Amino acid sequence: MPPPLRSPSVLSSTPCCAYQLCRTTGQSSRPFSTTPRHDQRVTRARRGLFRWLTAQGENFRNPLSGSTNYMGAYDNRSGMLRRVLELREQIILDSAERGEASAEKELSAVMNKGLPPESTRDRMPFPLNKAFVSQAVLSDELREQIWSRVMREGQSVREVSAKLRVEMSRVGAVVRLKEIEKEWKRIGKPLARPYARAVMSMLPTTPFDPENLIPHESINDLPVHASTGQQIFHPTSESRHFTRLDAAKVFNKRLLPADDRIPHPELVIQHRERVVEELTVEERKERAELRAAEAEEKRKKIANKQAQAEARVKKVESDRWEFRFTPINADDAGKDGRGQSGVGWRYGVPLYDRSRGQVKIPTSVG
Amino acid sequence: MVVKIRLARFGRRKAPFYNIVVAQARTARNSKPIEVLGTYDPIPKPPADGEGKPFKDIKLDTARAKYWLGVGAQPSDPAWRLLSMAGLLVPKYRPSAKPTPTPASSIPEASGSADKEVNAVV
Repeated sequence: MPPPLRSPSVLSSTPCCAYQLCRTTGQSSRPFSTTPRHDQRVTRARRGLFRWLTAQGENFRNPLSGSTNYMGAYDNRSGMLRRVLELREQIILDSAERGEASAEKELSAVMNKGLPPESTRDRMPFPLNKAFVSQAVLSDELREQIWSRVMREGQSVREVSAKLRVEMSRVGAVVRLKEIEKEWKRIGKPLARPYARAVMSMLPTTPFDPENLIPHESINDLPVHASTGQQIFHPTSESRHFTRLDAAKVFNKRLLPADDRIPHPELVIQHRERVVEELTVEERKERAELRAAEAEEKRKKIANKQAQAEARVKKVESDRWEFRFTPINADDAGKDGRGQSGVGWRYGVPLYDRSRGQVKIPTSVG
Repeated sequence: MVVKIRLARFGRRKAPFYNIVVAQARTARNSKPIEVLGTYDPIPKPPADGEGKPFKDIKLDTARAKYWLGVGAQPSDPAWRLLSMAGLLVPKYRPSAKPTPTPASSIPEASGSADKEVNAVV
């Protein structure tokens, strides 16, 4: 149970304060003030405000236990929870159909079990902004589960992300923060537990249930690349088989196709194998192993190449610096010494870096 | 005329960058050389993993440098320092080593006279 947000004395005095503020016009706490008192005039809007404060506003004094408490969840007229009103209507309708008159009893029996589950509509903090929906955060059990899968069981971030349906960047962040938390616990640094509990009780959370995994978010969204922001009319022949690969090339020569830019390309392949090609479990396993082996080979190849390049560099240590000698070929500069692959400052080639209009700050991050 | 292996300063103010060049001794510093052997970036860069010493990048065509030393090109002192670190010459000045006369046979013929001239510019 989260602690109440305000002290009881303030709670009890607020309604009468509200009436006082609304009614008081004659007396002032600043008798010598020359400021016009427009702000304390009783206007229609002001009356409306205090009407709202005493009706719906009462709901927001304390958080609802076991539920979020946003403005969008309440009915404008009665100031009651919309889902409760709907439930009551449903029960009344049902009992009328059955010809019974025990609707109120039934309702109270249902309500004793707890509030009905909240929907997207109930998670709107600003009723006029329908697009703003409070998104669920990871529950503590789910975060602990992510940490233990990555750090204890040694699963990869990609794997955990795909299984628990949490974005890879979020998985990384959870693991890092959990590590810090555990380190703080180890050295005995106090944690802000009451604060965390209070905040978590007011937010929608994604619980962790090993039998029935609830997806936290969409994990395979295509990130928007700046190159794809433009609208291009690209003429091509009708007979040409124009794929996403070609589309990417039209946008930018170095842009990867959408299939490779998504965070989890392997999920698409797995889905295709399962649903479209209808392969058996063994076949899929075999293919997955083959893919893993290929990826490993590719990684090794790159690592080998890097190691070779590293081995060619001769390192000489002095007191303060390390000098790195990279072998080059002086003939790369070509016959006239101006070749693009040659090293060093080039002779007879003007440098425009100090002329007007040259942007030196990188405008894009590779 | 003497052919020298020397550094030609390029880059900008407070951002030096050197070409290691083979040039006639009496030509201007940044004039077109006989050959560019490599580059020397004297601005230290922090180590990638945050451990160890900062490093300075040198690019050098060792084979060409050996050839020019073999035909009598005379390295300037800074060039001598770099070439000796690359293992092409015997270092001129070593603070830790005792000042013993180096055997003339182990270094190119030009080094003998250069040794006497400057001893402590590294």
